Amino acid sequence: MIYKNKKVLSLLIFTVLAFILMSILEPSIFLTLRNFQSMTIQIPEFGLLAVGIMVCMLTGGIDLSIVANANLSAIVAAIILTKFAGAESSAGQIMTYAIIILAIITALLVGALCGFINGLLVTQLSITPILATLGTMGLFGGLGLIITKGIGITGFPEQFLIIGTAHPFKVPLVLFIFLAIVLILSFILNRTLFGFNVYMIGANQIAAKFSGININNVLIRVYMTSGIMAGLAAILMIARVNSARSGYAATFLLPAVLVCVLGGINPNGGFGNLTGIVLALSLLQMLQSGFNILGASSFFKNVIWGAMLLIVMVITYFGDRFSKRNIEKRPLKVEKG
Amino acid sequence: MKKVFRQNEIYVFFIMVVLAIVITSINRYFFTLENFLDLLRGHSFEGILAIGFFIVLLSGGIDVSFTAVAVVGMYLGVLTVVKTGINNIWLAIAVACLVGLILGAINAVFIGVFKIPTLITTLGTLTAFQGGLLSYLQITKQTVISNPPQSIINFGKAVLFRIERPDGKILELSIYGLIFAAVAIITWLILKYTTLGRSIKAMGGNMEAARRAGFNILGTQFFIYCYVGMLAGLAGLMLGSYLRYVDALYLVGNELTIIAAVVLGGASIMGGRGSIIGTVLGVSVITIINTSLVLMKIPSYFQQAVIGMIIVVSVSITAYRQKVRERQVRVLDVD
Repeated sequence: MIYKNKKVLSLLIFTVLAFILMSILEPSIFLTLRNFQSMTIQIPEFGLLAVGIMVCMLTGGIDLSIVANANLSAIVAAIILTKFAGAESSAGQIMTYAIIILAIITALLVGALCGFINGLLVTQLSITPILATLGTMGLFGGLGLIITKGIGITGFPEQFLIIGTAHPFKVPLVLFIFLAIVLILSFILNRTLFGFNVYMIGANQIAAKFSGININNVLIRVYMTSGIMAGLAAILMIARVNSARSGYAATFLLPAVLVCVLGGINPNGGFGNLTGIVLALSLLQMLQSGFNILGASSFFKNVIWGAMLLIVMVITYFGDRFSKRNIEKRPLKVEKG
Repeated sequence: MKKVFRQNEIYVFFIMVVLAIVITSINRYFFTLENFLDLLRGHSFEGILAIGFFIVLLSGGIDVSFTAVAVVGMYLGVLTVVKTGINNIWLAIAVACLVGLILGAINAVFIGVFKIPTLITTLGTLTAFQGGLLSYLQITKQTVISNPPQSIINFGKAVLFRIERPDGKILELSIYGLIFAAVAIITWLILKYTTLGRSIKAMGGNMEAARRAGFNILGTQFFIYCYVGMLAGLAGLMLGSYLRYVDALYLVGNELTIIAAVVLGGASIMGGRGSIIGTVLGVSVITIINTSLVLMKIPSYFQQAVIGMIIVVSVSITAYRQKVRERQVRVLDVD
């Protein structure tokens, strides 16, 4: 409990500080609707990847293959979209919508399948998640390369691209989608047996096993969830940039892991929640946009990300030491009777 | 004899032999001394990176920042020579190694003092180091050094011996091979004959037990990460001098290859298990696969999938054998 609250609190403070700082430094650009829109359009894809990794981290694992997974799903969906309903094709209105729905479902299926493979490797073969997903990262990425031969796939139907460009009520559609997913996942994690089991496995796997939780079952579903997140991210990605390429977003992997840890997820499992992730995402996005506006080099944001992560971890370290000392000083309550 | 067969290294050696046979049967050029010397020259730096990574893995940690450290070391090493005008290769080497050492020390501080998990720390420093280098370079508007100083180029060309064959072919053993061998031997000696080496293995086997046995954990960790950093800096410089082109965008993103090599060589991700020989063999196999796909007329975009497949298969085998071994020992492990 203490762990969770402290992290989230310090995150909240940092986020507010960042917002204030950026607003003071460049109010004319930062505080515009345009800036808000451009900031929030980038959060969803990246955020979905982070959420996928988060679920794995809660069980003490990790999913390094999530980006490669997303790329592969994107490529498969892209092939369907361009083959049957591409810009030059003669498909009618209804047909186009049907193909779009097919592509979306396919992306989710591919994502889930890749996640399933990860789950199998981790549970049946007992390979530690870092190595398993490292291998599958190469595998999925390699598959994507083989399919596309390195060339990007473009030319999606207009109706599909609307997903990426629509702004109902001036807010990007993708943001709504992301928030909806976060709410659903939050419900799953906090109010279902599955979510409960996830936290239990992360906290103490052996105790969980002896409590009757079916570890393999839960873990496979966890990695499939991560895979589905990848599939969703894939759809959002290709809808926004109108192309699918192997190796796209490869640079998103490390920051996604960073966001999870920044957001208060304990990499050893068992602790952390979505609030932290959302806050961490907002913080990083604001810093990134802010630095962009200030004219700082785009590589500088990497330095900030890395530094932020390390700073927050160090703060947590001191926070833990401080609270441990406090516990020792608190008098023991002895219950009578 | 049975003990020999149980060692992981034998399997890797076996794989290498099989590979060699397969590739040679498709393209005879593979099994030539010329090819081997070429491979040694072009990929010794990867071998050095792998040895560094292996040490970290042995201690139970993971360091993904080595590519960034290598690039920063390489760049600053060459930059120093360019800026100061002192055309001495030893200066570049010293700077590269020193930079690597310092960056490694930064890792060590976060891992050893603040007890941040190694993967997280090195993910952060990987991002920060490369980002730092690139942002600094963007200020100078130059992310490559296309004409490195002569001393650097000479380093790239340096050879131990040179044989001119009557048919015009020239065989050269590059100095890189010597450096690689030296690093491997020194590291092996450290691991086998010093307390430091023993503490590394102890930490990897069981950190808490090592602590209670009295090993100097913090000191060892500093050594490990500084050593990796130093090796990475050296390897980076080797790469830059070999290619005669220094680009700040090298290496980062290709950690997978090195990790695959070390894991293939039998090092356990949990730590405590593995050997230098295994690592060297692992690097050889990965290098052979990477370079020989071309010889076998397999398109280069198959490379990534093949490497990924190799990791999955080799790790599965290791994990499976581990499981079998554990089932044979019927002791309930209560943590």
